[in-house]
Amino acid sequence: MSQTDTAETAETAETAETAATTVNRTDGQDVSTTAGETAEETRPEWTSYDAGGETKLAVDDLDVHYGDDHALKGVSMDIPEESVTALIGPSGCGKSTFLRCLNRMNDRIRAASVDGSVALDGEGIYQDGVDLVELRKRVGMVFQSPNPFPKSIRENVSYGPRKHGDIETGLLARLTGRAEPDREEALVERSLERAALWEEVSDRLDDNALGLSGGQQQRLCIARCLAVDPEVILMDEPASALDPIATSKIEDLIEDLARDYTVVVVTHSMQQAARVSDQTAVFLTGGELVEYDDTEKIFENPESQRVEDYVSGKFG
Amino acid sequence: MIAVPREDYRESLDELRADVESMGREVLDQLGRSLDALERDDRGLAREVIDGDERVNQQYLDLEADCIELIALQQPVASDLRFVAASFKILTDLERIGDLATNLARYALAGSSEVISESRLRGIGETASKQAEKALDAYVEADPEACRAIAERDDDLDASCQNASEAVVRELVASEPDRWDIERLLDDVSRLLLTVRDLERVGDHAVNIAARTLYMSDGDPELIY
Repeated sequence: MSQTDTAETAETAETAETAATTVNRTDGQDVSTTAGETAEETRPEWTSYDAGGETKLAVDDLDVHYGDDHALKGVSMDIPEESVTALIGPSGCGKSTFLRCLNRMNDRIRAASVDGSVALDGEGIYQDGVDLVELRKRVGMVFQSPNPFPKSIRENVSYGPRKHGDIETGLLARLTGRAEPDREEALVERSLERAALWEEVSDRLDDNALGLSGGQQQRLCIARCLAVDPEVILMDEPASALDPIATSKIEDLIEDLARDYTVVVVTHSMQQAARVSDQTAVFLTGGELVEYDDTEKIFENPESQRVEDYVSGKFG
Repeated sequence: MIAVPREDYRESLDELRADVESMGREVLDQLGRSLDALERDDRGLAREVIDGDERVNQQYLDLEADCIELIALQQPVASDLRFVAASFKILTDLERIGDLATNLARYALAGSSEVISESRLRGIGETASKQAEKALDAYVEADPEACRAIAERDDDLDASCQNASEAVVRELVASEPDRWDIERLLDDVSRLLLTVRDLERVGDHAVNIAARTLYMSDGDPELIY
C-alpha cells in the first residue's frame, strides 16, 4: 500500500464507515437482546490464546473512543507471524477499528482516541517519534473495495517503491543489482506474480488499471501493497465486493501470502474466515474481544455461548 | 431484523433429531422382536423382523441424505456442526444394530438348540438392548452423564458375553456327544456363539452412539478413541 496517498483515497470511505459503525452498533445491541443473549461474562482465558511461534504484533489493553463512543474495550491479543489471523463479528463490533489501529490508520480520524499499546516486533507503534510512512510501509493495507490509482497497471505497482526510493536503493535493487529500468520491471513482475495476477496482465502493463475486473483490481491492490515489501498485510473485507471465483483467487492468495507475511483479515464471511485463517478472533457488540483461538476450535467447539450463537447464525 | 434468524434451518435441525430418534425407536423395536423370536422360537415374528430391515435401511439412506443436504446448504458450525456430524455417524450405528437384529431373527428361524441351554442369552439380550435404548435416549436428551455410564456398563456386557461363550462350549463338552450328535450340535454351538457375538456388538454400537453423543453435547472426543 502506498501510505499517505492511498490513505487519503480511503479517508472518505473510512469516515463514512465510522458513521455506519456507530449506527449499527445500536442495532446490534437491540438484536442480541431480543435474541435472548444473556449477560455472559467474558473470561480472560478465552482470549489468552498463544499460537506458538513468534509474535509479530502484540496488542495490549487497546481502547478506542470515537468521541463519547467506546468502540474498542481493552483488547489484548498476540498476532503470530507468518500466519493468517481472521477478525470476525457483527457490524459495529470494532473489528475494523481494531484492524486500523494496527498501522495507525485511526490517526486520520480526528474524533478517534487510542489508548493502550500495539507493538510491532516488540516496538510500540504509538510511541513518540514513530515514522508513520515507514510504519505503513511495514504494515500495508488492502481495502474492501479495490482502489487502484487511475494510472497504468505498471505505475500502480511501482508507485510505492518509487515514492520510497526503493527502485534505486530498496531491497529488490540490492538483490537484483540491475540497472534501474530493469529493476522496476523486475519489481513489477515479481509483485504481480506474487499477487497471482502476472499471467493475466503481463501483455498489457501499460493499460489503465481501471479497465481490469473487480477481482483483478483487488489483486492489483495486493500487488501494490507487496511492492514495498511489507511485513504485515492488513485486509479489510478484501473479497466482499467480488464474485465467488474472484473470491476464491483472493483466498488462495491469502493462504499463499501467509508463508512469508503476517496477514490479518477482517471478514463478514464466516466461511471465509474458516477457510483461510489459522486463528480467529471474535469481536462482539460493544467493542469486546470475546474469544480468540485456533480457527478449528472457534468453528467446532467455541468456549463462549455468545460466540457459539454468533458463528452458528443464532443472532447478528 | 428478525429476532431468530435462519428459522427454517433451526427447524431442519429439530426435524433431523426427531427423525433419527424415530429411526432409533424402529431399530430398538426390531431388536426387541428379534430377541422375542429367539426366546419363543417364533418363526413368524422372525420373518417380520427380517422383512422390516428394508424399512430401516430406507430410513437410514433418507436421513443420511438429509445430513448431507444440511451440510451442503446450511454449512452448520459449532454445536450445530457437532450435532449433524454426530447424527451422521449415529445413523450408521443404528443401521448396524438393525442388521444385527436381522441376524438374530435368522438364528431364530434356524431353530432352537435341543441340547444346550439358551437361558443365559436372555439376560445378555436384555442388557444389550437396554444399552442401545439408553444410548438413543442420551442422544435425544444430549446427556453427557448417560453417555459415560453407557461406556462403563459395556465392560459388564463384554464379560457376560465372554462367560456365555465359554459356558456354551463347556455344555457342549459336558453333554458327551456321540458321533451322530456332534454334527447337529456343531450347528447349535456356532449359532449360539454367533448370537452372543452379535449381542456384544449391539453393545459396542451403543457405546459408539454414546461416544458421538458426548462429542455432540460437550465437544469431548474422549469416548471416541
